[in-house]
Amino acid sequence: MGHYWISRGGGTALAIAVTLAAPPLNAQSGSWALVNARIETVTRGAIDRGTVVIRDGLIEAVGASVNLPPDVRVVDYSGRTIYPGLIDLTSTIGLPASPAARPPANMEAAIFGASADTSIRNVGLEPGRTIANELRPAAADVRSARDVGIAVALVAPGRGLFRGLSALVPLRDDAATHWIVKSPVALHVGYQTVQGRYPGSLLGVIAYQRQSFFDAQRHATLLDQYRTNPRGMPRASYDADLDALVPVVRGQLPAFIAAGNENEIRRAAALAREFNLKATVVGAVEGFRAIDALKTMRIPVVTVDYPEPASVTGWAYRNAARHDLDDSTTRAAAVTKMLEGNAATLNSAGVKFALASGGVRPADFIANVRKAIAAGLPRQVALEALTIRAAEAAGVEQQLGSIEVGKIANLLVMDGEVLTDSARVSAVFVDGQRYDVIPAPATQQSPARGERRPGVEDKR
Amino acid sequence: MNLNYLRTSACSGASGRNATGLVSRASRLSAAIGCAVFVAIGALPAQASQASGTLDPLSLPAPTAGTLVAITNATIMTASHGTIERGTILIRDGRIAEVGANVQVPPGARVIDGTGKFITPGIIDAHSHTAAEAINEGTQSVTSEVRIEDVLRQDGISLYRQLAGGTTTINILHGSANAIGGQNAVVKLRFGLPVDSLRFAGAPLGIKFALGENVRQTSRSNPSRYPRSRMGVEDLLRDAFTSAREYRARWKEYDGAKAVWDRAKRKSGPEPVPPRKDLELDALVEVLEGKRLVHWHSYRADEILMALGIAKEFGFRIATMQHALEGYKVADELAAAGTGASTFADFWGYKMEAWDAIPQNAALMAERGVLVTINSDSDERARRLYQEAAKTMRFGGASEESALRMITLNAALQLGIDKRVGSIDVGKDADLAIFNAHPFSPGARVEMTLIDGRVFFDRSTAPTLEWLIEQQKKKPRVTSEEGAR
Repeated sequence: MGHYWISRGGGTALAIAVTLAAPPLNAQSGSWALVNARIETVTRGAIDRGTVVIRDGLIEAVGASVNLPPDVRVVDYSGRTIYPGLIDLTSTIGLPASPAARPPANMEAAIFGASADTSIRNVGLEPGRTIANELRPAAADVRSARDVGIAVALVAPGRGLFRGLSALVPLRDDAATHWIVKSPVALHVGYQTVQGRYPGSLLGVIAYQRQSFFDAQRHATLLDQYRTNPRGMPRASYDADLDALVPVVRGQLPAFIAAGNENEIRRAAALAREFNLKATVVGAVEGFRAIDALKTMRIPVVTVDYPEPASVTGWAYRNAARHDLDDSTTRAAAVTKMLEGNAATLNSAGVKFALASGGVRPADFIANVRKAIAAGLPRQVALEALTIRAAEAAGVEQQLGSIEVGKIANLLVMDGEVLTDSARVSAVFVDGQRYDVIPAPATQQSPARGERRPGVEDKR
Repeated sequence: MNLNYLRTSACSGASGRNATGLVSRASRLSAAIGCAVFVAIGALPAQASQASGTLDPLSLPAPTAGTLVAITNATIMTASHGTIERGTILIRDGRIAEVGANVQVPPGARVIDGTGKFITPGIIDAHSHTAAEAINEGTQSVTSEVRIEDVLRQDGISLYRQLAGGTTTINILHGSANAIGGQNAVVKLRFGLPVDSLRFAGAPLGIKFALGENVRQTSRSNPSRYPRSRMGVEDLLRDAFTSAREYRARWKEYDGAKAVWDRAKRKSGPEPVPPRKDLELDALVEVLEGKRLVHWHSYRADEILMALGIAKEFGFRIATMQHALEGYKVADELAAAGTGASTFADFWGYKMEAWDAIPQNAALMAERGVLVTINSDSDERARRLYQEAAKTMRFGGASEESALRMITLNAALQLGIDKRVGSIDVGKDADLAIFNAHPFSPGARVEMTLIDGRVFFDRSTAPTLEWLIEQQKKKPRVTSEEGAR
């Protein structure tokens, strides 16, 4: 048993006890001490020059003066800044492209169920679909997301009305699915129909959702009664999809409702209100038009897949007002500004939110976040939205989203300030595994103490 | 410069109805862009009345009029108690406070000079498919669980064009793809406000039913759904209502058992489990109990009689037969059943079942005591329902007041909102259309439309065709040679 004193720049000191085991020195997953870096903890301020110690995939120590354990590899990150790894809550990494989706041969059979082929999967209408069981992340996809600083991704299907149960996946090269952080995170809900069956329209989609939640409420009651006393009780039917909805109507599992435009956000709020759901809007690209509705739900996941101006609610209003007849370009530019200012507007209105990609390519994700910053979103708020707020939205704020002792060692090492023009990602740590993005210099010899090159490890 | 004005009509469907309800976002978008393009190429400006950028590009200025408004010296067609010459309407807090020839205008009122103008109640369209993102849930024959209210949208430019035709309240119906369609929504055209503001608070519940060729999918090469004949439709209806009765009985049985269990001091056995709540059957039970108005799409006299028979068998009143092009053949039966009819003035022949129609239909039914309305069923017709009403005078000899009621008070009665709208009477909502001439004259057009006393359309500030032409005239002319350089 050893004790390490961790303190931050003349502030209070706190002690933690750490069990020392003899660690196998694995090139991938060893114990690390990242020294001489600026550390942006997100939740506890910044440390101008400090150390982060990583062991067993967790943050063991963090502070301005940390005694280095003897068995860690030291990496000098002078001139670099360490941030929590970013979290993207709108990913489809590793989802099968099209899992056995085929429309029923006979519509009537599908509708009336008499001879319905039960092997048909209605992708998008599978509340019980457990994404964790299906994931096969491709190394290239994982790397391209990680290379922009994303350490974990929430994976859920992108279409459908009951899409399934999402999984929070670490973006590591080895057995990412083996190390899933959390599953299920939420039931994912949306407004798309499923080919070739009921419901075949938005009308039917919402009615189907409403009926399903009523069914789940009743199912929950029946299950409870049967559990209490099975004698003399007819048992509830076994229905994996209905079972999946039970924790949602009980408020134990959040519903992530994909809602982009104003009316979708208001529909999501109405559904949440009707069934007292723990609801998170995912998308909210027109959140600035529905701030009142957003405030009635959990913190939203605001995506940066900006829509085209002409598709935005209210665009038609311009035709109802006298305006410069050739102002289409001007107007579109103003609306674009408004769309990119969505997050800034929400922030000014006191709405807390997570930021997410909305499915755009990783590089565009970061570029689009920077557009939001250019439109007035404070950079620090953007950073929080990509880390601790995202962790809160996914219910993993105890494990992720900031640099604190005991949290998972997901770290982003930047050359420059994150989310600025000149910033470059040096390395990303996922579960304490180090992935260099800017390749470290070839030389591995230990330079004299205090003269280490940034990013080069010193094995001690 | 080529003024491509004809494109306006193509734009009117941009946000509107579609046969399947499955219109893609992309096609709506392209239609909207088409309209924008029209404006852009229709007239390139030199000057504009409003500097762009000063307005929030995504919202309209809030419609205002003040809490106290007086429209003076106008011809007031009340729809309930005749026409008042040189009368005044006083509006207080969105309601009609006074109406008559001798109304004193209190100080502080905003005065709208009605000299030479004709005022009618805001027009009510008893059959619309506008302002909804989906119209048909056509995958099943019974979809009474779906609700138009769930899918309302507020920003189609067509809503504004309907306001420009004096229309203030609309009954948005589910389509006619299936025998028992979805629940309708009655809304006011509060264009420019958030979607929740559209709802007509307190309007009775309703539902759309349908008969005939659409239900039978006769236009499909491969009909996919039962029923495929009129006798099948009748059987399906009987099935549905029988299920609804059984469902109601199950709930009554449960309510009884639950009451006994609740009263019992010593509980014998577990608490009774409620039956499954079935939204589809809930709506049909409401029909059976007279709590939900049925608006029934129909054309032929024989199927209207069939529907009346079903309603009698299951003990409910049909609020309206919609279209009812052969209603004149069964007017007495409709009147006896207390069932209204909502029809077109002179639109027929677009399919077999719509063939045996006459332009006297509306007037003939009204003469026999049927509560008749003229509806649009179309974003385009909804802009000129006053002209449609006028046709009932021209063809069927309806009186002026009878014709006016067919687009105002009668519609309010059919929808059960007559305490609030439909005529110019003290206490009703100040939903008004102000015309430049007699609304049934050919040159009539709406100058201003008010809802709840607020101005939602004002021709003097609208981007009208005339205004576009003015803008165009102000623009320096560019010859084709100059333009080519």
